[in-house]
Amino acid sequence: MRKLFDLDLKVNGTRHEQAVEPRTLLSDFLRHDLGLTGTHVGCEHGVCGACTVLLDGEPVRSCLLFAVQAHGHSVITVEGLGAIDQLHPVQEAFRQAHGVQCGFCTPGILTTVVAFLAGNPDPSEEEIREALSGNLCRCTGYQHIVDAVQLAAQNMKTAHEQPAR
Amino acid sequence: MRIEGQYSFDGPREVLWELLRDPKVLAACLPGTQSMRQVGEREYEGEIGVRVGPISGAFAGQLSVTNEVPPASCTLTVEGKGKVGFLKGIGNIDMTDQGQGKTLMKYTGEVQIGGKVASVGQRLFDSVSRGMIEQALGKLNEQLQARASSR
Amino acid sequence: MTKTLIGQRVLRNEDPRLLTGQAQFVDDVEIPGLLHAAFLRSDHAHARLLGMDVSAARQRPGVVAVFTAEEMGDDWQPGPPLVSPPPTAKDVLFYSRRQVPLVKDKVRHAGEAMAVVIAESRYIAEDAVEDIVVDLEPLEAVVDLEKALQPGSHLVHDDLESNLAAHLFQKKGDYEAARRQADLVLRRRIVIDRGAAAAMENRGIVAQWDEKSQHLTVWDTTQAPIPIRNGLAARLGLSENQVRVIAPFIGGGFGPKMMMFYPEEMLIPWVAKKLKRPIKWIEDRRENFYATTQERGQIHDVEIALSRDGHILGLKDVFLHDTGAYDPYGLTIPLNTQCHAMGPYDIKNYSTEVSVVFTNKTLVTPVRGAGRPQGIFVIERLLDAAAKELGIDPVEIRKRNLIPADAFPYEHGIIDQAFSPLILDSGNYWPVMQKALDMIGYEKFVREEQPRLRKEGRYVGIGITPFIESTGVGPYEGARVTVEASGKIHVATGVGTQGQGHFTTFAQVVAEQLGVAVGDVRIVSGDTAEFHWGTGTFASRGAVVAGNAIHAAASIVRRKVLELASKQLQTPQEELELEGGMARVADIPDKSISLGELASLANPLRGAVEPGTEPGLEATSYFGPRYGATAFGAHAMILEIDPETMMIEIKRYVTVEDCGTVLNPLILEGQIHGGVSLGIGNAYYEKLHFDENGQLLNASFADYLIPSATEMPRIEVGHMETRSPLNELGTKGVGEAGTIPVPALFSQAVENALADRELEILESPLSPNRLYELWSGKEAR
Repeated sequence: MRKLFDLDLKVNGTRHEQAVEPRTLLSDFLRHDLGLTGTHVGCEHGVCGACTVLLDGEPVRSCLLFAVQAHGHSVITVEGLGAIDQLHPVQEAFRQAHGVQCGFCTPGILTTVVAFLAGNPDPSEEEIREALSGNLCRCTGYQHIVDAVQLAAQNMKTAHEQPAR
Repeated sequence: MRIEGQYSFDGPREVLWELLRDPKVLAACLPGTQSMRQVGEREYEGEIGVRVGPISGAFAGQLSVTNEVPPASCTLTVEGKGKVGFLKGIGNIDMTDQGQGKTLMKYTGEVQIGGKVASVGQRLFDSVSRGMIEQALGKLNEQLQARASSR
Repeated sequence: MTKTLIGQRVLRNEDPRLLTGQAQFVDDVEIPGLLHAAFLRSDHAHARLLGMDVSAARQRPGVVAVFTAEEMGDDWQPGPPLVSPPPTAKDVLFYSRRQVPLVKDKVRHAGEAMAVVIAESRYIAEDAVEDIVVDLEPLEAVVDLEKALQPGSHLVHDDLESNLAAHLFQKKGDYEAARRQADLVLRRRIVIDRGAAAAMENRGIVAQWDEKSQHLTVWDTTQAPIPIRNGLAARLGLSENQVRVIAPFIGGGFGPKMMMFYPEEMLIPWVAKKLKRPIKWIEDRRENFYATTQERGQIHDVEIALSRDGHILGLKDVFLHDTGAYDPYGLTIPLNTQCHAMGPYDIKNYSTEVSVVFTNKTLVTPVRGAGRPQGIFVIERLLDAAAKELGIDPVEIRKRNLIPADAFPYEHGIIDQAFSPLILDSGNYWPVMQKALDMIGYEKFVREEQPRLRKEGRYVGIGITPFIESTGVGPYEGARVTVEASGKIHVATGVGTQGQGHFTTFAQVVAEQLGVAVGDVRIVSGDTAEFHWGTGTFASRGAVVAGNAIHAAASIVRRKVLELASKQLQTPQEELELEGGMARVADIPDKSISLGELASLANPLRGAVEPGTEPGLEATSYFGPRYGATAFGAHAMILEIDPETMMIEIKRYVTVEDCGTVLNPLILEGQIHGGVSLGIGNAYYEKLHFDENGQLLNASFADYLIPSATEMPRIEVGHMETRSPLNELGTKGVGEAGTIPVPALFSQAVENALADRELEILESPLSPNRLYELWSGKEAR
């Protein structure tokens, strides 16, 4: 019988207590135990960035973390950024700029961008590309994604909104 | 891929030659060895744990020694198989007396790897294998010095 | 009359779901009692399977079953042939060998599936895979294309006499006669190597068999749900109506998800039916590198015959095409190469001969471009070599050979991948190239900027490459358009969607006809329960073929709406317009009726219905083009090379695309950007390294380098529109256009940048290492 660990963490503001196997990846825990399938798994070796979530506000690869490593911490996934009828400014900007094609890499990019803009609200294009260099996209060639980040930065500066709930 | 190099031992060839045939010595020197036993005249079997970058796993291997020209040269043939892949290698060892109780060992070999260890670890394989060999020869040298001095 | 929606930068309907993580991908499907599969895959590329002991795996707690080829009994069948060799071509040699659900006697490529474990979790299943003991006798791997065809080579398929999978010779005119007339004959050997599609989403299947209703539901990351449904039904002895295949949101297709009846696709539904439990298999990235199809490997021996003023008199191409371990996809890729090796040029004499070769490597089926990039690479490299040899400007030599605008439809006479004679339907090539030259400032760069930069010791080069792209091939697609009582429009079509915006472009086509908001048109694609006639999304045909079927269906619905509205409003049809979801009289807006009301009226619960009418406001239509429309374009770029690191920086990248009528420029640009990024990967960063044992040495994103945001330049997209006469919308496909000319363009620009070394690049992909080798092998002038 595998020994389970009593995991206790916050995800998108909600507290979750669940017994998990120590070897369960955070990405699997979020997707299958909590049903938050917005976070996607592209490579499981930490390169593509599709699985990026915010751990205490910092972008991390959820495929390279065990769920138990998030014990006592706070995780934000794409589901915690906004809802269909109330998109986060970054999500809205992606819509306006056509920064989404298949949408698979998108959640990881959104969380990365939200954290990035919180620390650098007025970035240059070069800085944006650098910040995105850890997220692979096969559909867009990144151009509209960069446009979206620029648009988001612009809109958020004028609106002074809080980046995340 | 090719593996080659040389190592200077602090001991005579004859003693080194003996050590190379002792499974207990081999087991002690080769990093990661979990077990090693002699199963034939010049045949050995063993289990060795290997880590190449992110890939780690146990290999079950066979080693055979041929073309022996004691105490100067021989050919080693290795075959290993495990969950993380397989390995085949063949190498020649040449040992020359350098005088002053030193021996120069030159080795050249061809190694083929396959499976996970090849597809993910290939880039690192060269440095990892060199590291393992260096470590093994270093330990062998220690053993050589200990045995040589006890004579 | 409302402003037209065709050609509008309409924001995408599907984005809010995708942006909030509410879109369902295959791995998001959860079913109570779901079991998980993991595969035991061969480490060896070529080996005899002597035996397998799965007993330890079966005993592991949490393991429900383990299957090998033996347990499948008579259900073990290779996949069906997907594309036959063209019946219209003469003297085709073709040996059909297809992939198998699980290895039975011999492993033919590294990563081939040997056994499947079904367990309560993927974690346990993977643990159990390691419990399996397999006895493989390694055989010498067949890897090198030329060695594979030599007598005495080991055979990938023992029942064949050699590793020749297929042979096809096609010709146009008389090359030998042309050659005799030539002032210059150049011969070159061009080698192109494999790359992966590497969609961000790996493949996956969920299969659920309901014993009580005798119904199978399959969620599959496929670009072709309808053929999958039909094939699974046949394989499992079911009626097609007992099987539903759903391709939900797909995280990128790019071709390999159009390959059908992958071993896992054949196996997982069979297991689900056998165990009467729902089964999920999700590929991991390493498996994707081994077990998902790849493309591009070819070796060309080419010859071009020219007159002194640079006119191409003839072209001869003898090439080898690597098909990997099996050839289910017929001759699609080499036919594309044959058809594109003439490029957009007026070549009257052409001889092309392909030998398709089996190797112990992953299967080859189309990847974005599907053989076209190789053809364009060949002709463009030859023209650059000829230009240098003859002392003609590279732009000028192309201009002299482009098919003139009055020569369309231009018949090449050889057979294409759709089995039809290759006809370029429409084109206007030189203006497109001219526009690209203008956009990038070609003249000024070559005359002023480049000499200045060179004096500073910088290595900056420019290139321009025109190209054609065959698109929009048949056989056909279909669609059903329905006005619902709510006034919203429901559209069902068979093609799947992998991010190219069908939910929006198709909605625009419908909204255009029915005068509704784009957001009020709901598209359902890729669900065989909704629509079950069609083939799939491939060969840049979705918008053209499905789009035109939708257009046709919407036009019929429009007619029905106007007829009914005319009766209701007692006004002649000509005075009616459809706008804002209403049918109304043009100058009396109060005299109107909503589409929703009309839909209800068309489906009464009481009263008489006129004979010969159909209920509701609905129509189903099909569209099959006579032949594929040929799109075209030109790419140009300026790049700089750092001679110490061989890293490149793309300073400018310009594309001019002519794909006929543009449905949505925003989505079009996205397709171009994405295509170019794959093309740049193909040109400089991506290469699948197989060693002499058929081992793939870079099966991870750490070693297989996909361009990231820092490698990609801004791409300037220019448009021209030459309507296609082949369909009502006048549209051509564009999905692969971004990718096709890039390796050719790249080589040209690199040669131009390193002009003092007089390099000739006859291979693709390059890489910093390889470029350094080529560069340092040459002395500076």
